[in-house]
This record gives sequence, C-alpha cells and structure tokens, in this order.
Amino acid sequence: MVRYTSPINPAVFPHLTLLLLGIGIFFTAWFFVYEVTSTKASRDLFKELLLSLVAALFSGFGILFLLLWVGIYV
Amino acid sequence: MAKIQYSFIFFLYIIIKCNGVNVDIISSDLKLKNVDRNIDISSQLVKITSKITLENTGRAPVKYFLYAAESVTKDNLAFVGFKDNNNKDLRLVETSVKGYDDVKFWRVELKEAVNAASTVVVMAEAVLTKALLPYPTAITQQEDQLVKFNGNLYFFSPYYVASQKTTVIVNTKSVESFTKVKPFSQQDGTISYGPYSNIGPFTEKELSIHYKNNSPFLTVTRIERLIEVSHWGNIAVEETIEIEHTGAKLKGPFSRYDYQQDHHSGPASVRSYKTLLPASAADVYYRDTNGNISTSNMKVKKDTVELDLRPRYPLFGGWRTHYTLGYNVPSYEYLYHSGNEYLLKMRVIDHIFDDMQVDELITKIILPEGSTNIKLNIPYPVSRLPDNLHYTYLDTKGRPVVSFTKRNVVENHIQDFQLRYTFPRLLMLQEPLLVVGFLYMLFLCVIIYVRLDFSIHKAEHPHKD
Repeated sequence: MVRYTSPINPAVFPHLTLLLLGIGIFFTAWFFVYEVTSTKASRDLFKELLLSLVAALFSGFGILFLLLWVGIYV
Repeated sequence: MAKIQYSFIFFLYIIIKCNGVNVDIISSDLKLKNVDRNIDISSQLVKITSKITLENTGRAPVKYFLYAAESVTKDNLAFVGFKDNNNKDLRLVETSVKGYDDVKFWRVELKEAVNAASTVVVMAEAVLTKALLPYPTAITQQEDQLVKFNGNLYFFSPYYVASQKTTVIVNTKSVESFTKVKPFSQQDGTISYGPYSNIGPFTEKELSIHYKNNSPFLTVTRIERLIEVSHWGNIAVEETIEIEHTGAKLKGPFSRYDYQQDHHSGPASVRSYKTLLPASAADVYYRDTNGNISTSNMKVKKDTVELDLRPRYPLFGGWRTHYTLGYNVPSYEYLYHSGNEYLLKMRVIDHIFDDMQVDELITKIILPEGSTNIKLNIPYPVSRLPDNLHYTYLDTKGRPVVSFTKRNVVENHIQDFQLRYTFPRLLMLQEPLLVVGFLYMLFLCVIIYVRLDFSIHKAEHPHKD
C-alpha cells in the first residue's frame, strides 16, 4: 500500500478554478449572446447544443475546483 | 461414521476452547517475588505503574498469568496495559475465575513461557479515573482544593506476594493526613510504603491520603469526533467537546475583580489548557454557538501544532463549557491505497489536554460516496454504532458513516484505528459531472424557452430578417 494523494495537486486548485471558470464563463456568455441575437430563421440547434455543452463542461469543473479551493472538500 | 466422530471431537474442542477463554484457574505454581508499585496521584488521574517479578515455583513452564482489579476500583479503571522487558506490549484477555465474581481478571499472555524455577519481569500500567474525590466537596474562590485518595496498601493479586514496595507521588508538601503502616516514610512530594513481605492473595487494606491537589480537574463529559475523508486530498476533523470542572464545587460568589487582580486567586480553577494537534493540521477553528472564540493561540512546532485554548470564562468546580474544534489534514498522512483498496489509519481520539479523562467518546468516520466493503479494526474494545448515511454537497445516495463509542477514555487510548474500504476511482468523476449535468439542463431550458411563443396575438407584421 502506498500513500494516497489527490489525483490533482491541491496547490493548483486556484489556477484550475480561474482557468476553467474563465473558459466556462466565456462560452456561457457566447451562448446567451447567441440566444438573444439569433432569430427563428437563423437559429442553429446543433450550434446551440454544442456551445451549451462546452460551457457546461468548463463551468462544471470550474465550480468543482472553486468548491475545493474554498475548502468545501466534496 | 468417522465424519460424525470427527465433528463430535471438533465440537468438544470448541466447547473446551470457549470455556478456556472465559474461565481461568489461579495457578498455585506462580508467586510474585517482588512488586515495585508507583502510584502517581499528582494529576486528576491515578496512574499506577508496577514492576512485577514473577516466579514459577512449579515444574511445568507457564505461558500466562492473571491480573486482578479489586471490586472498588474496577468501575474507575480506564486502562490496563502490560509490557515485557523489551518494552513490547503483551496481549490481554478479560477473563473470570470461579468463586471470585466481584473481582475483575485479565489474563496476560507472555511472549515466552517461564520455565520452572525461573523469573520474568513485567511492567503493569493501570489508569483510574474519578478515584480522587474532593474533600471538602465545595470550596470558595480563594481556597485550595483538597482531595482524598482511597486505594489498596498492598498490590492486589491472585498470587502470593513475597515482597512489595509502594511509592505514592503527591507532588505537594501539604498532605493533611495519610495512612501510616510501618515501615513508611514521607519525603517532599512522595510517600513510600514498605517493603512489606509475605502478603497473601487478594489482600486488601485501606490506603488513604488526603492532600492538596490544584491540578486541573477537567472531565470531557462528551466528545464527538467527526472525520470526513475526501479523495480530493483532504481529511477534515471536527471535534465537538463538552467539558466540566469536576473538582470541588465553587461555594459562594465569584468575584471577577479578585480573579483578575490577584494571580493566586482561584488556584483550583482552570484558565486555559493546551491541545496538541497533528503537525500537518491546517485551517484550525475554535468556536461555539456564539461564534469564534478569539482567546486562543496557535503555535506551529516541529512535530505538533500547539493550541492554547482559553474558554470564554474560567472554569470553577461544577462549571461547564462546550465548543467545536476543527482542522484539516492532507490525506497522504493517513490514507493508503493499492488500486481501489483503501486503508485509513487515524487516531481514535486525539489529545485534548494533558491527563485528560473522557466520559463518552463518539467517533464518526464519513467515507466518500460509493465506498463499499468497510472493515473497521480498533486496538481495544469499543461498541460499534449502526452505520448510517450522511448527506452533504453534491451527494446523491449519501456517504457511508462508520461510528463507534467508548466510555471512560484516557490518554493511553490515543491509538490508531484501521479502516479498510473499496472505492472505484472513476466514481470521483460523479461530482463534477453532477454540476455539468445541472448546468446543461439549465442551458437546455433556455434553448427550449427561446422556441416558445407567449404572445397573446399573432404579430401582424412579422420581423424581417
């Protein structure tokens, strides 16, 4: 048996949070801007789904590392 | 037919074995050649260490011997331990002897058998709690605390004791009274009795000492220790502690003015005490229901983190307080793994203050969600509480909680438990994916929402693109 360490070094939690959440917020913003500016005719469902998936993935992991960074060890 | 015979023999063997565990006989071959007993009553505990020279006067080698506790002390007895010459712990089994129902016995198993006509030296350690009774039971703020110790003048043993000596450490010159059985002597801080020779088995004679003892008489009436394991690299420990001063009760009023003015005021009270945390402890907090208790200091030392805790008010006899103490430790200090098998090695209870006595300990271990095959191993008997579930952030079916409880705990119980469990590593992804799924649902709602039309009448001139 070997000592167990986290798969991700706790020292990089802040950096990961900022990076992932930054990308996540960027895609979220893009998604919402796209939603309000596109019209019924110009709307592309595939692009919407793809944008929201990328935004959700980055924001989701970003929020997790934010929780870990502030001390909520889930 | 042979099968039946074998199984019969097997059952007979089991019955004999079971009886052997529960009932012992006092061997007449064993004799205690010499006993050197040291009773330390300078703190709130009674710590008895005895150096026992065991002699085998029979013909057959002896593999074990019995240790007994008199009926008066057996309820106060918190810890019994034996060590051999090489300072190695000896195995103890609780047992009983026919005809001595009110005496508690332990069978001590020796590493090597004692041959006929040879001797072996073992060290016995016993810790009693609540054996020092304040007398008078109530004192004023300015008075010193006097306590009474009642014990046995002779080493209580099922065997014949050829020669014995007892030294009592009181650590004070102000001894009001003490039992005088010749030969005895009193030097500053210690009272020596003996040598007494040829004392028979199970001899009891009162040893009573009435002396000044201003050491902190603090009892932890209840401690709940919560250990939360996270596979993201952290173990969070939180202790909820209730403390009571169980020395002589405070009689009359309490003057804060006198207490602050004169440092000798309230000699029996407790202003502050030190708690030692593991060296890797970080993010320490000390609070109660009102919030943070600011009168605390933390010193990071080489091998420990020392906390100087000062309750909101000094503790006099009969006064109580409660608080929460928490900290984080990195998982690599206590958690081991190979593949998906994990082993958690942590202390059942940690240091609260020197010479502590704990009435009730509850330890709860929260494991990550999805842990299975939980096996707990504790170096001394505890009563296991039913497993339940704990719900916190990003949980779906709840985290398994292993809990156990023990009464009458002292510093000697600061030992490691071992908890084994299986946890598939991929399950760690469940938490981030929960957040991702939730966010994606939100986005999907937006996508659906923009496709809905809530207007109550049709637009006559649709927008041109």
